[in-house]
Amino acid sequence: MMAQVMINPQDTYTHAAPNNDYMLEVNELKKTYAKKQALENVTFSLKPGTSFGFLGPNGAGKSTTMKILTGIVKADSGSAKLFGKDVTREPDAVSKFIGYVPQDITLYEKLSAYDNLEFFGEAYGVSGKELKQRIHDVLTRTGLLERSKDIVSTFSGGMKRRINIAAALLHRPKLLILDEPTVGIDPQSRNHIFELIRELNREGVTIIYSTHYMEEVEALCDEVAIMDQGSIKAMGPLGDLLEQYGQNSIYLEVPGLTELPQDPDVTSFRKEGSGWLLETERSAAVMQRLLRQASQHAWDVKQLEVVRPSLESVFLKVTGTALRD
Amino acid sequence: MKAMIIKELRLIGKDRRSFIFLLLMPIIFIVMFGSVFNQTDGSSITLRTIDQDQSAASKALIGQMQSIMDVKQLPADNLNEQLDKIKQGQFSSMLVIPSGFENSMKEGQAANIKLYQDPASQTETAPIQAILGSISSQYREQKLTTMLMANGESKAQAEAALASPIHIENVSASADHFNMIDQVVPGMTVMFVFFIMITMARRFFEEKKTGLLSRIRTTRIKPLHYLIGMWFPFVLTVIAQCMILFAFGHLVYGLRLGDIAALSAVVLCLSIAGTGIGLGLSFLVPGEGAAMVITQIISMGGAMLGGLWVPSYLLPQTVQTVGHFLPQFWAQHSLQDIIAHGAHLSDIWGSALILLTFGLAGLTIALIRLPGFLRSAAN
Repeated sequence: MMAQVMINPQDTYTHAAPNNDYMLEVNELKKTYAKKQALENVTFSLKPGTSFGFLGPNGAGKSTTMKILTGIVKADSGSAKLFGKDVTREPDAVSKFIGYVPQDITLYEKLSAYDNLEFFGEAYGVSGKELKQRIHDVLTRTGLLERSKDIVSTFSGGMKRRINIAAALLHRPKLLILDEPTVGIDPQSRNHIFELIRELNREGVTIIYSTHYMEEVEALCDEVAIMDQGSIKAMGPLGDLLEQYGQNSIYLEVPGLTELPQDPDVTSFRKEGSGWLLETERSAAVMQRLLRQASQHAWDVKQLEVVRPSLESVFLKVTGTALRD
Repeated sequence: MKAMIIKELRLIGKDRRSFIFLLLMPIIFIVMFGSVFNQTDGSSITLRTIDQDQSAASKALIGQMQSIMDVKQLPADNLNEQLDKIKQGQFSSMLVIPSGFENSMKEGQAANIKLYQDPASQTETAPIQAILGSISSQYREQKLTTMLMANGESKAQAEAALASPIHIENVSASADHFNMIDQVVPGMTVMFVFFIMITMARRFFEEKKTGLLSRIRTTRIKPLHYLIGMWFPFVLTVIAQCMILFAFGHLVYGLRLGDIAALSAVVLCLSIAGTGIGLGLSFLVPGEGAAMVITQIISMGGAMLGGLWVPSYLLPQTVQTVGHFLPQFWAQHSLQDIIAHGAHLSDIWGSALILLTFGLAGLTIALIRLPGFLRSAAN
């Protein structure tokens, strides 16, 4: 039998020295909650206009990192600077550049969508006619203009999520931080939110998007950081990560096959659905040998195909666990 | 801060539970207590009487009693049945004028009348005994006057000889008349003002629990502005609550409001005291449940000890002393001074200052606890 290839979880990935091109520079953030290490030397930098995905399971440290960036939580050590301003020491100078969409729906359910937006707009320092214009604008963008006077508690989960995002856009932030903004919503609202994020990114807004859904990162982000157990395990452009860590896989489905034959080119394998997923850098050779085995043992092959590298396989490789474990 | 205040006022306006606690309940209590005490004000003491003598003298005695109290005459033949009713607690006392009452008087002997009473209702029968004692004294004076005149004294000389060396003159201490509505309306208002603490604690814990507080911290609202923005709408709410309840007392029960400037000052200080304590409580207790329990203790306990239910002077001395340490006492004391005793700003500033001190103590606690509260919300 073959063994799975494991990456040492202590190998943390750090990225880039400070550079004037970066709008956000995060250096060696550490945070401990009641003796539990929530963040360990988190370091990354972002250029303006990036759409950056934080991928990791619950408890990986994504939300803590975002809370430090928005000034909600103070890091035990390390620094985070936005446009050269320290987020802890100069929160007023930084807050006007950041729009934060928390993981929970943080709206006043008894107030109308309009009243909520008016409150958050004024809280961000926008007022008067300009605020009214911007409320109209974000309601149009989120497709909720018709429902602006309705009480939020009457909205569906997806509509609430959209207003939750709209409330963070009223002061026209340069950096939009979204912490799992699509949890528990219908596909239509999810698509609406995706389209809104892409549109904002096209307009130059830098995005930090946290999720534990790989397909969301693949759909929205051009750079990804894989987080686990409080540290960044891998980071870089999506294509680079796939190239560096991803391997072609072969999917084989043979009813009744309980054990795979040894193959020196298969680096790891696991059960996947009704079949097996074999990772290899020499997919053609492995495929040939599998076909030979099938012929010799008269396997009833239902499926045999090459699977392109996925973020899931990257995640598995750098953390040693599947994301949804 | 303006955004916080407007938002909070909108939320309070939509909170039905607060409306019930802050307005509906006190109005129900005022109506309930007002009805009970208004009936008491208009009624006199009732004495059931059986006249077994049926003479001119017995009828004269009954007539004299009727001028002072409500006398209900019962049939002379069912004494035992009426005595059973006293034993059963159906009424507390009964006067029986026995046969031979008039003859005893004519013969100059002591004419006995019997006052049957329920020993468990001594407080109730005490005024009746006092009235009967007074009537008995009048009879004695009459008898002595007759005897002195028989000895050759003139009527004026006889009356002068019997006149008491002490004359008690009743002088009202204030221009206004005090009735129970003057106790009930301010009492219920002050009691229910402190229920704002439940609403305040609930709001703060909601903000924390839902993540709204954390989100607000990412905006440009500073922690101190957040605190004031959350607190000030509750001050306005209590002022509105007091205005509505006093207006209700004035319009429905004819409550005299006294010096409006003084009344407004006390209401302002009371609202600062109630909401200040509410603020401190919200930042001290671990959860909404604890806040509910403590609020009930402060509101109900303070109402009882602070003389909101019954006038403070009717309470035991120890309770009266304890009451002086409670904001409810000073609020009620100053409000009654304004309403019943015609007090002005210069008369109530001391009480107002004490109320402000309670409020500022609560605010200080909140300010000290605020950073910890914000940290706990973030985590």
